[in-house]
Amino acid sequence: MCGIIGCAGRDGETLDVLVHGLSKLEYRGYDSAGVALAGSDLDVCKTAGEIDELRAALEERSPSGSVGIGHTRWSTHGPPTDENAHPHLDCNREVAVVHNGIIENYQELRDELSTAGHEFRSDTDTEVVPHLIEDALADGADPEDAVRQAVARLEGSYAVCVVMSGVDRIFAARNDSPLVLGVDGEARSASESASGDEPRAAYYLASDVPAFRDHTDRVVYLADGEFAVVDADGYRVTTLDGEPVEKTEDTVDWDPEETGKSGYDHFMLKEIHEQPRALRQCFRGRVDELSGTVDLADLGDLSPRGVQLVACGTSYHAAVYAAQLFQQAGIPAQAFLASEYATSPPPIGDALVIGVTQSGETADTLSALREARRRGARTLAVTNTVGSTVARECDHAMYIRAGPEIGVAATKTFSSQIAALNLLSLAITSVGDSREVISGLRDLPGAVQEILDTSTAQEIAETYRDAESYFFIGRGLHYPVALEGALKMKEITYKHAEGFAAGELKHGPLALVTSDTPVFAVVTGDDEQATKTVGNVKEVEARDAPVVAVTDGASDVERYADHVLEVPDTHRRVAAVVANVQLQLVAYHTADMLGRSIDKPRNLAKSVTVE
Amino acid sequence: MLWKTGFAGRKVETGRRQPICMSVSTAVVLAAGEGTRLRPLTRNRPKPMLPAANRPILEHVFDALVDAGMDELVCVVGYKHDRVQDHFGPSYRDVPVQYVRQHKQLGSGHALLQARAAVDGPPLVVNGDRLIESSMVEAVAEGFERHGSSAALAVLEHPDAGQYGAVVLQNDELTEIIEKPTTGEYRLINAGIYAFDAGIFDEIADTPRSAGELALTDTIARLAERGQVRGVRCEGMWVDATYPWDLLTVARTVLARGKVDVPERDERVWVHGDARVHEDATLRPPVVVGPDSEIGPGAVVGPDVALGYNVTVGANVTVERTVLDADARVDAGSVLVDTVTGQDVDVGAGSVVPGGQADVRVGNEVFEDQRLGAVLADRVTAEGDVSFDPGTLVGPSAHLHTGAHARGQIPDGAEVMR
Repeated sequence: MCGIIGCAGRDGETLDVLVHGLSKLEYRGYDSAGVALAGSDLDVCKTAGEIDELRAALEERSPSGSVGIGHTRWSTHGPPTDENAHPHLDCNREVAVVHNGIIENYQELRDELSTAGHEFRSDTDTEVVPHLIEDALADGADPEDAVRQAVARLEGSYAVCVVMSGVDRIFAARNDSPLVLGVDGEARSASESASGDEPRAAYYLASDVPAFRDHTDRVVYLADGEFAVVDADGYRVTTLDGEPVEKTEDTVDWDPEETGKSGYDHFMLKEIHEQPRALRQCFRGRVDELSGTVDLADLGDLSPRGVQLVACGTSYHAAVYAAQLFQQAGIPAQAFLASEYATSPPPIGDALVIGVTQSGETADTLSALREARRRGARTLAVTNTVGSTVARECDHAMYIRAGPEIGVAATKTFSSQIAALNLLSLAITSVGDSREVISGLRDLPGAVQEILDTSTAQEIAETYRDAESYFFIGRGLHYPVALEGALKMKEITYKHAEGFAAGELKHGPLALVTSDTPVFAVVTGDDEQATKTVGNVKEVEARDAPVVAVTDGASDVERYADHVLEVPDTHRRVAAVVANVQLQLVAYHTADMLGRSIDKPRNLAKSVTVE
Repeated sequence: MLWKTGFAGRKVETGRRQPICMSVSTAVVLAAGEGTRLRPLTRNRPKPMLPAANRPILEHVFDALVDAGMDELVCVVGYKHDRVQDHFGPSYRDVPVQYVRQHKQLGSGHALLQARAAVDGPPLVVNGDRLIESSMVEAVAEGFERHGSSAALAVLEHPDAGQYGAVVLQNDELTEIIEKPTTGEYRLINAGIYAFDAGIFDEIADTPRSAGELALTDTIARLAERGQVRGVRCEGMWVDATYPWDLLTVARTVLARGKVDVPERDERVWVHGDARVHEDATLRPPVVVGPDSEIGPGAVVGPDVALGYNVTVGANVTVERTVLDADARVDAGSVLVDTVTGQDVDVGAGSVVPGGQADVRVGNEVFEDQRLGAVLADRVTAEGDVSFDPGTLVGPSAHLHTGAHARGQIPDGAEVMR
């Protein structure tokens, strides 16, 4: 899991552009970073540590070049060290390569190259690439062909960018790892160049749009098996074999500045606060309360007989929630962990397979969806990222429209996934009037704002910051909230936390409950589910565990709770979202008091593009 | 500064005017105060975030600054600061916005002092809670630049100078500045738009506190004694909301001037592209309907009505001279006249605010003959068939049960039964 940036046409600014781009890609990995700039020479600087370490290293010297590439790394092969940081070089230090993905046949290639006398400096899979290029160059290939020949030998997933000493070009290729081209300005014709009145043009390559979004909003999404040559005069896309490929430009409409923290200490808190707006965007143009209809016409007619959802992490919790919605509407539905589904898939029958992934690049989810497609299933992506791999590979894509999420711990995208999946379930299953549910959905942004305005989560966090473990229980639609509450707590506080179906507690986990293990119980409404969960709360209370009830006050759970986190009375289908916001805030404030690296917790990356 | 990659790339033309005066290009906006006289509407947000028609007052202020060519905004936030940050984020109309916290509200001078580290060069300073026009900002920047004084401020003629900071000019030099004078001899006011040289921060720091607070006007008075303040006469729209019902006047002014950010569907009927208006609903100009709002069949909305975002107006509802803020919901058959709501207000079916004149009591003060139907603060719920006497003020999260009759002041969170 890594981030790549490349830039051509910015001359004296190349280094600034690269480092700026890397800072926007840090969410993809941040245990080492490096840049290579090429012009007449090749100049490389790389270090272990976060981007600030690279900046410090660059203070001492300022590499320059007309083109350049950069990389921020999250270790897969070999520990984070200066040597293992990208870019990687050939023996002659004339070819520099950055790579995201995993080269599956690297050991074989490495053995072959070592035997042929190549010297390896790192433990990475990537380093085989510059040495392969070196060999091809030595055999007389021109730079472009040399890169093509090297890439043709790779098996596995990769997005690579290559620069070489004395070559004012970047060569790039992708297979199963994201790579986007950014276009700023028109390519210059010969006559314009001669007139001296040159319109400025610059081109960018990156794992993700935010890396160059400050410079341009025009993008070309490269597809698997494509090869690009980029310089100050333009770009050319071909297949790996050299067949020209006609590409179309897209325009991205993200606000470039949305990547700033707007006065908050952490992206996570900013993103928690963005939820009312993100939810409104999700509903925009899709719901009509007056007629009680949901319009997802762009998805076409899905009418599935069954649904299987595949996802990982927080997205999996949204999938567990959605499976219940489909079931309640009479459609057989199940949620699967994508990594399990990919290797041991269930019978699919004629079910629609829905992949839920914020980034649209999650390798486990892509792999599960590919397995489903291989078995002839129809697939639907629910994602936040327009033009992502998942959106392009699935038969249908539905966007959750949450806007960019930078904090590694997913917050607003969970809420927006639940909102989008609600719309999807209504569109697929509803016969007739959904006015009441739609009215509940439209009330959701205001309900979330109420929690942001009134939450006492900070006091709860203060009270229990030193607890050894945290447990979260919920039933029905609140079961995934319990799972998500625990995951958030784990991710950013590094404390032990578990979520359980409320009824499951007594079948084992209750043995863990002590006076030092706060239990967060999510209970809304006053139906049979609520009554049963209250019963489970009594079991916990009897073991002297502190109880924090997340409740709308409809049941009598408060009688058994030490603390209450209030949520507004909402439609039962959206209560999960508001309850979850309280738990997001508890996790955030606890982590903040413990001084954790909230936006970039240890060992985690924002979008996990390795299996 | 090596790593501040400030280049903008190929920026889309935003229609911003070139700055008249290059040296004043950073604006400091003071938006930290609650605006206590606007309670109960300020329970969850500061005064600058209250609606001027369909969007916050502060957004109009930012528009004036950006239109005048300011290329950096520094916003001093304090009371309920997250509401400001959430609304604007890190930029507004492609101009970067930096937030500076004033942790305790110790006066306007103290607020400006918090921005010291965020400002290079001479700052333009404005209050974030009043509607102003870009021409005033330009005039102050130009006046400051041309005459090389330590400070320049915008001066307006105003019939109620006694309500504000009154000023006296002699040949464009400010000689006197008095907060809320009790004598009626003044006719010019300080419009709250200033340009200062970078020395202002030291001047504020040297100004003695009065009652623990640092008022910017105290510092200006000191500069005026030394003949260093220039008054720049301006005219144009300048609107302040002092009390909740003033938001109705503010909305009317904004609509009359067409200071609306959504497309004009018919003459003075502005409807956002993402709003849904039933074909059997009537919109009477001037009226603005914000994004994601829905208006049902048979509803009559307007004149002088502003709907914020995600507002629902049910079937056969009548709304006149009213501001409905974000996420508000008015169910079928209700009538709202001369009403101001906060956010997420829920008015159940068949409720009636008939509007009209009333004596409004705020604390121990009585304001006679105000035209006010009702003020419903954030998250007020009126279940249905609730009737409101003119001049009713309902506190946040109050719950009015079916058939209740609301009058006078209803406190926060109160339950009102039939």
